Amino acid sequence: MALKTIETQPSRIPGPSTDASERELLERIAKHKDQVAFRTLYGNYYHRLSRLLARMSVRREDIEEVVNDTFWVVWTKAGEFRGASQLSTWIIGIAYRRALNCLRRARIRPVADHEFDEDSVSVESGEEEETNQQWLSLGLERLPVEQRMALELTYTLGHSCEEVAAILDCPVNTVKTRLFRARETLKRVLPPLAGMTGDPA
Amino acid sequence: MSSRIPDTHAEAWNLLPWLANGRLQANDREWVEAHVHGCAECRAELETQRQVFSQMRAAGESPSGAVTPSGTVTDEQRSFDKLWSRIEAAESAAPAPALAPAVAGTDGGTAVARGNTRTARTVRWLAAAVIVQGFGLALFGLNALRTSDAAQAGEFRTVSSVDPHAAVLADAPAVRLVFAPGATIDQINTLLSHQGLSIVSGPGLSGNFTAALSAETIASGASAESVAAVISKDPNVTFAQPIAR
Repeated sequence: MALKTIETQPSRIPGPSTDASERELLERIAKHKDQVAFRTLYGNYYHRLSRLLARMSVRREDIEEVVNDTFWVVWTKAGEFRGASQLSTWIIGIAYRRALNCLRRARIRPVADHEFDEDSVSVESGEEEETNQQWLSLGLERLPVEQRMALELTYTLGHSCEEVAAILDCPVNTVKTRLFRARETLKRVLPPLAGMTGDPA
Repeated sequence: MSSRIPDTHAEAWNLLPWLANGRLQANDREWVEAHVHGCAECRAELETQRQVFSQMRAAGESPSGAVTPSGTVTDEQRSFDKLWSRIEAAESAAPAPALAPAVAGTDGGTAVARGNTRTARTVRWLAAAVIVQGFGLALFGLNALRTSDAAQAGEFRTVSSVDPHAAVLADAPAVRLVFAPGATIDQINTLLSHQGLSIVSGPGLSGNFTAALSAETIASGASAESVAAVISKDPNVTFAQPIAR
């Protein structure tokens, strides 16, 4: 079974114009405590952050709290954003650190490399598209959280290597290493990926 | 190309995810693409990573995404409402800032924005009303203290003395409430007095006050929930909700 190919499309990452419009929202929040601007920015990130936090193994009942803690910081610290990075990098970075704190409080330890069971994951057969995503989802769940986040930020949210490094607060080479290991692990545990390796388009 | 870095293949291999997602910087993209063109192993890996990228992005965009815990607008609005209540509660404890220009946005144009516009008008009106009421309450309170002093001959009390019947513990249960625009000072005082409530902060952004239950009221078995349930039915109150303190 091979993962179904989907034609690559432009990344969803906010481009310069999106970033500029979000910075305008932040400015309105900082200067005027503008509720509409705040609500709009919240809506821009709610689903993105919820998904990312779920991937980090943050408990379902804690996800809303982490999202709201993140936007509490956005509301109170909007005037302190200096614009050295993209606004999305700043906001997602806050959420990432809040989530790590949440996991520590809940005493949920991210999966460590040595605990990883390299037995291939298996899922019930079903519709191809759904099954492919189940394969991948199960594979991702078995990665250490740092590797999982590097993959999520790169592929699901479409960030550059430098942006991922800023969000995770680590060197660029560390991001490359995490992604290298994640790719190798996924290929070991996901037969569809392993099968594709020798079958270039 | 190979002279650019010692191990072109290894470095290109590391950068393939960003070639797949289109976020590789231009100066790197040029040489990585050139290497991939001549390297069968990298071409196969790039294809694999493009498929992982496509699958993960598709899952992320799906309304019922595999791991998205809640995907409806209702969930989003409910979560935002919780956050906004939290912000209002925090800011009601501080001196009331200038009202948010909630109608300043031009990018809303949605039901939410329109709702907020209506809310903003109401908030301004209510805030103005409760500020006037606040002054009245203060005057009334001072007058009540003087009356009480006169009745208790021989007992010397100052303005800052604590009325033992209205004493409020620091962590006492409390309710958040907004008074009806037409409520008079007398009606508000009667309501607070009957329910054993003391205003401890406000008005907040939405003209809301926080009122704590007196020690005597708590001793009688009342709770923030029971008091909120009662006063929410009072025509002089438009909003009442118990809050944790």
